[in-house]
Amino acid sequence: MHAFVADRRRLEFLAYALFIAGVLAMPLFIDAFWLNRIAKYLVYGMLGLAIALSWGYAGILNLGQGLFFGFGAYMAAMSLKLQSYTSLQQGSDKPIPDFMLWNAEPNAPTDLCCINEGSFLWLPFQAQWFGMAMAILAPTLIAYLVGSAIFRLRISGVYVAIITLALVLLTRLLIIDAQPVTNGFNGLTDLGWLTIGGFEFDPYMTQTYYLVAAGMVVVLLATRLLVATRAGLILQSTRDDPNRARYLGYNVAAYQVFFFTVSAAIAGFAGMLYVIAAEFASPTFMDLTFSISMVVWAAVGGRASLLGACIGAILINTIEASVSESEMLQEGWKLIIGFLFVLVVLFMPRGLAGLVNDMLDRIEAMLKPGAARPPATTKTAAATAAEKPGE
Amino acid sequence: MASAKGKALTIDGLTVDFGGFKAVDGFSMIVGDGELRVLLGANGAGKTTLMDLISGKTRSTDGSVHLYDLNITNQEEYRIARAGVGRKFQIPSIFRELTVEQNLIVAGTREPSVFRNLTFGINREGRRRLEDVVELTRLGDVLDRPAGELSHGETQWLELGMLVSQGARVILLDEPTAGMTQVETQKTAELINRMKGDHTILVVEHDMAFVREIASTITVMHLGKLLAEGSMAEIESNQAVRDAYLGSGGIH
Ligand SMILES: Nc1ncnc2c1ncn2[C@@H]1O[C@H](COP(=O)(O)OP(=O)(O)OP(=O)(O)O)[C@@H](O)[C@H]1O
Ligand SMILES: [Mg+2]
Repeated sequence: MHAFVADRRRLEFLAYALFIAGVLAMPLFIDAFWLNRIAKYLVYGMLGLAIALSWGYAGILNLGQGLFFGFGAYMAAMSLKLQSYTSLQQGSDKPIPDFMLWNAEPNAPTDLCCINEGSFLWLPFQAQWFGMAMAILAPTLIAYLVGSAIFRLRISGVYVAIITLALVLLTRLLIIDAQPVTNGFNGLTDLGWLTIGGFEFDPYMTQTYYLVAAGMVVVLLATRLLVATRAGLILQSTRDDPNRARYLGYNVAAYQVFFFTVSAAIAGFAGMLYVIAAEFASPTFMDLTFSISMVVWAAVGGRASLLGACIGAILINTIEASVSESEMLQEGWKLIIGFLFVLVVLFMPRGLAGLVNDMLDRIEAMLKPGAARPPATTKTAAATAAEKPGE
Repeated sequence: MASAKGKALTIDGLTVDFGGFKAVDGFSMIVGDGELRVLLGANGAGKTTLMDLISGKTRSTDGSVHLYDLNITNQEEYRIARAGVGRKFQIPSIFRELTVEQNLIVAGTREPSVFRNLTFGINREGRRRLEDVVELTRLGDVLDRPAGELSHGETQWLELGMLVSQGARVILLDEPTAGMTQVETQKTAELINRMKGDHTILVVEHDMAFVREIASTITVMHLGKLLAEGSMAEIESNQAVRDAYLGSGGIH
């Protein structure tokens, strides 16, 4: 039996290695246009895995992950906006976002400090590192506060989904409403490029692809290691039976807050990478449909598997991009995805990753008749009991 | 009376008022260190509620609970658990999607902090404890199985094993043999007898054959109050107990 566990470990290791090798080899096979697209899908892959972490491992269905992605994106975009040539127009030598100039009162001072009431918020973003740091820190802090409130009150299940959903919609409204500071509906566009040590990351360059890919790979591996720690194990125990965990002496809320926050930090980081590759930030990141899409990707890929959820996101988006050439196919595709989601939820709760696992179980049973462990899903407690009469 | 040092669990005038209805009403009891105490009482007598009050699931409205010298009255569940109270529920609760071994690792970590659990595996001391518990519960053959696949009996033994792993000094067991076959009940009695001494155990049980197997002292509860306390023989001949049980068919 230990041999079995070891085998499965090796297969999982192999799957990770193949996936990462595939991601890193991608520039050999596709052109700059598709490379930029795939970079965005790798970002979606990170979102899928962030959902798997909170939903699959912690049992927390977060329908407002777009909140953290959006904050990460806006924080990064603010810095890149100030770096853009569009912010140095109309004779100004200090950067001011173009939309602020367009909408400024006639006698307003042409200075970021006070061109409008909220513009001073942009001041620290003149330093690029500040925007990039805030892209991770702001979602982390927000998630910590929101998570503390939710989980200390022992709110769980569908109520968490409703609260997170309401929060992301509320934030979306606030951002659109704060037009002078955020450019409202239009979002932040015409961004500059990320510049590190004089090197400019043109979104269509291979280097930018590798920046995003490296970010994704590091997050994937780090999260996989994280869930393998004792804390990861305890987290899963709080998902299975929070009361049991409590009566073993664990502060369940502390574990939930920690992993909810990690998941949000990943989403924030993903938002930052997305802005670097896509050159815009928009309130659509906080649309309900986007947050729900993330959950669908994770469900189809397999919410119990970080790699599965990540691949699910990349796969669905790649297929979607391929069929979206024609309007009719595009509408049809939405139907297919919706249908697929319902099917997965009803019949395949562990998604594609679960399907692969079951197939491996089958193969193993065929190779080692009699000696193999029965597949986890088909064996019932009653059957187990019946096998051991008089025990 | 046990000496101050020998009191594992001291319950004094414990009361809970559910909007006028007192499910536990001025209940007092002292359980000595290493003792195995059986709690009897008709349906609705307040036995489960008493365990809820001790373990922090329900907040009492009056009275106190001490674990050795520590006042644990109305503390949060996880604090009471860390102080040394382990609890088994009427409905078995284990971590279904984790393997049996992982269940025992989670129970035996002895380190509540998230950050200090951000490392892998368990230390040698933890491994030794785990092996002891596997030996005690005889779950060695199913260590790699998801706990959700265990039989009813195995599930109950795993949960008992988790309480031992946890290092609970006082263990509360609510009907540990409910729904078990006779063979399973027998094995559970053996298991509890082996746990006796190392742990102080308070057990609620309806199965009188089982009680005879394990009991030394019995406490009888009625309508939230203490009715009688003594040996099996004393309880069986106690008139108040007989009267209280008349309505519910007596002690079998
Ligand atoms: N939260 C609550 N609010 C109101 N009444 C409650 C609550 N919890 C328990 N009770 C009542 O308290 C009484 C004692 O219940 P309890 O479950 O403690 O009995 P018990 O001795 O464990 O019975 P059994 O042998 O059937 O398990 C019952 O009448 C029950 O309905
Ligand atoms: Mg009860």
